[in-house]
Amino acid sequence: MPTVDGVLLRMESVGKAFGPTVAVRDASLEVHRGEVHALMGENGSGKSTIVKILSGVHAPDRGRILLAGRAVAAFRTPAAALRSGIATVFQEVLAAPNRTVFDNLWLGADGLFRIAQGPRERRRRAEAALAELLVSPPPLDALVGDLDLSDRQACAIARALLRDPDLLILDEATSALDFDTRNRLFEIVRRRVAAGSGVVLITHRMDEVREVADRVTVLRSGETVATLDGAEWTTAEVVRLMTGQAHQLGDEARTDRARRAPGDVVLQASGLRVRADAAPLDFELRAGEIVGLAGLEGQGQDAFLRALWGLGDAGGAVTRVSSRGRQPIASKHAARRARIAYVPRERRAESIFDWMSILENFTATTLRRDRRGWLLSGRSALRRLTDYVERLRIKLGRPEDGIGTLSGGNQQKVIIARSLAAEPEVLLLNDPTRGIDIGAKRDLYALLEGLAAEGLAVVMLSTELEEHLELMDRVLVFRDDELAAVFPHEGLTREALVASFFGAEELAS
Amino acid sequence: MSAVAAPRRAGEPRLRRLLRRHGYLLALGLTIVLLAVNLVLQPNFGWIAQLASFAPLAVAAAASMPSIVSGRGGIDMSIGPVMTLSGIVFAGYLAPNGLGGLEALPILMLLGGAIGAVNGLIVIWLRLSPIVVTLAMYFIVIGINLKLAPTPMRLADDNWATSLAGSIGGFPGPLISLAIPVALWALLGLTAFRRNLYAVGGNDATAFTAGIAVSAVRVVAFALGGAFAGIAGLVLVALVRTADSSTSSAYTLIAIAAVALGGTSLAGGAGGMTGALLGAASIFLVQSVLADAQVPQTWLPAIYGAMLIVAVVVGALLSGERTGRRA
Repeated sequence: MPTVDGVLLRMESVGKAFGPTVAVRDASLEVHRGEVHALMGENGSGKSTIVKILSGVHAPDRGRILLAGRAVAAFRTPAAALRSGIATVFQEVLAAPNRTVFDNLWLGADGLFRIAQGPRERRRRAEAALAELLVSPPPLDALVGDLDLSDRQACAIARALLRDPDLLILDEATSALDFDTRNRLFEIVRRRVAAGSGVVLITHRMDEVREVADRVTVLRSGETVATLDGAEWTTAEVVRLMTGQAHQLGDEARTDRARRAPGDVVLQASGLRVRADAAPLDFELRAGEIVGLAGLEGQGQDAFLRALWGLGDAGGAVTRVSSRGRQPIASKHAARRARIAYVPRERRAESIFDWMSILENFTATTLRRDRRGWLLSGRSALRRLTDYVERLRIKLGRPEDGIGTLSGGNQQKVIIARSLAAEPEVLLLNDPTRGIDIGAKRDLYALLEGLAAEGLAVVMLSTELEEHLELMDRVLVFRDDELAAVFPHEGLTREALVASFFGAEELAS
Repeated sequence: MSAVAAPRRAGEPRLRRLLRRHGYLLALGLTIVLLAVNLVLQPNFGWIAQLASFAPLAVAAAASMPSIVSGRGGIDMSIGPVMTLSGIVFAGYLAPNGLGGLEALPILMLLGGAIGAVNGLIVIWLRLSPIVVTLAMYFIVIGINLKLAPTPMRLADDNWATSLAGSIGGFPGPLISLAIPVALWALLGLTAFRRNLYAVGGNDATAFTAGIAVSAVRVVAFALGGAFAGIAGLVLVALVRTADSSTSSAYTLIAIAAVALGGTSLAGGAGGMTGALLGAASIFLVQSVLADAQVPQTWLPAIYGAMLIVAVVVGALLSGERTGRRA
């Protein structure tokens, strides 16, 4: 490959899988000197994995990376990527909270023992970097844990800037920044680019892409779909490229169920805040409704769902409304008493006991029902499980087998059966179909529709567009920890949904 | 966990801010009070003798500290046995063979450091929990101690090291024992290592992505602790003049308690030498006060335990740390 003048980074046909999950299938990217290159794609398109490959956190399985025309096998550590001139600001705000601002800014700039430059020089440069970024920078000896989120993120950005990288990668680095700081950052970005370095920008805000990006590369399901020049792209085109054709669940498979008129209000949130300084939102959930929570990862939908479960701590009230009256939901115990069940996101870490049997996993939260005096009745437990095995079409060998013998989809069904065994009236699901096969998904949809028809109210966070289009009666889209849009089922399109993820509501109507 | 903005804490009380930054202040207060009580109860307080009996615990606490600061539950259980090994090697092997002079110090530090490095390497290569690895090392070193010294080994009375427990031309010897780890720690403060250590202990994901060699930092932390344990063994044998394999386990837990009492978070990333020494001083002085007050020695462990819990809880309350609510 001849060195093309002006190409800073070229990534060719890179692939990366984590176990059976393919995160990046075939991604290519070319970043020129002097450009801001936006990387766009919806959830699971592989953006963050690519960033982690370029910054040395993950090694790619295949493909190659050329930096300034020179092949880099792959960066084995973040330190190696930094030495090659690539500095990254990661999506999760990474800081050592009990170290000072000064220490955080120069984190990793030294060897194990060797100090790269004198403290006086460093203080001066650190102060300059912060002053450039922030109107009122924190003192250098403040602890980072004491700063607000915007300043913490500014510290992470300043740390990357202080390395003076050839390629700066900003992975959702602007999400926590206040307005002024973001503008100042873009000012710095433009100046760096004008001086001949390159910037890769990932953001959930279309307006930011419009504002600073010179070119846009669109990813879908781990593949590069297109690279567009700044002059020629339109928001509609980018959204179309991001959503692509309906894959996985084709339109023909779509079973539009009969929509019923929803029942009475069962859960109310008023003035609920997902983050202390975000706008409050009101929400009503009715019996028999299935409400979807959508948005790019980490935009507040997760915190909202947890708040409905009684774990909100940023203000507002959640109230359960039922024939028993109104009950405030301020803890998960109150939620359980009020018949609200929650199915967590991380199956392995948060919901299954992976060394226990299927039966034990099922009965874990409802043992009381199998009590006969001081003893537990195995027969009663078995009978209860059998009931759900039929209803949920759980495929299992023997109930005494370890839960690990089941497929992910069937494990998830057992977990949902466990929640249902407590006879909830409100079911909160946190991305329940993640990583399970299509058949199991279909079973789950049918189950949820059946339960809703019986009057169960369901709130389900999902990272799959199809689920929102197909299953939900209403979809709430979150952005920047606030409610950005609400869509009814009728007339909802993939494009409208994705456009709203990126703050391009003009396309959503 | 969603991104919830931490409130600015500009208006918080001065004491609280100080305590959060300097976790050792509580131990400092405790040390001053206990020292005052001691001086009242025991008007002819023998400074050098007291310092000499304090020094082994203090250096043992210093030895426990680096790996704890490095985070991820970096508790080194092998500190006690390594101290004893160091004493045995010094009294029973180096001194009789003409290596009992000052050159013994670097040899013992290398010995301890090598064992610490092995601990660290196993922790990072096999990704085992430090407590398991160092517990295994604890038993292995106890075994070595029993083999090397089936019966207690005496240190010759004329060995230079005995003056570490006495005075050297009027200067208190124990201060020199304490000065060695303190000086080494201060020296490391002039390099990037200590900053790297606190970064790794504070948030290893951040440290890793920022380009710090996280594994190397951890190994060095364990090796440093081992080297300090080597010094602690020498200091102990200087005081008691015998190296006894049956006391191998004596210092491990009390040293960890001293570190915790000194305000070092067992979660890592905070605390340091000052805290370790003051924590050790608190424990030592409590024991001394109780002895003066003629409280039976049998009560000591229970009192240490109570003190540790009270100190950690009070420290957390005063500094306003709360454990986050989790789902």
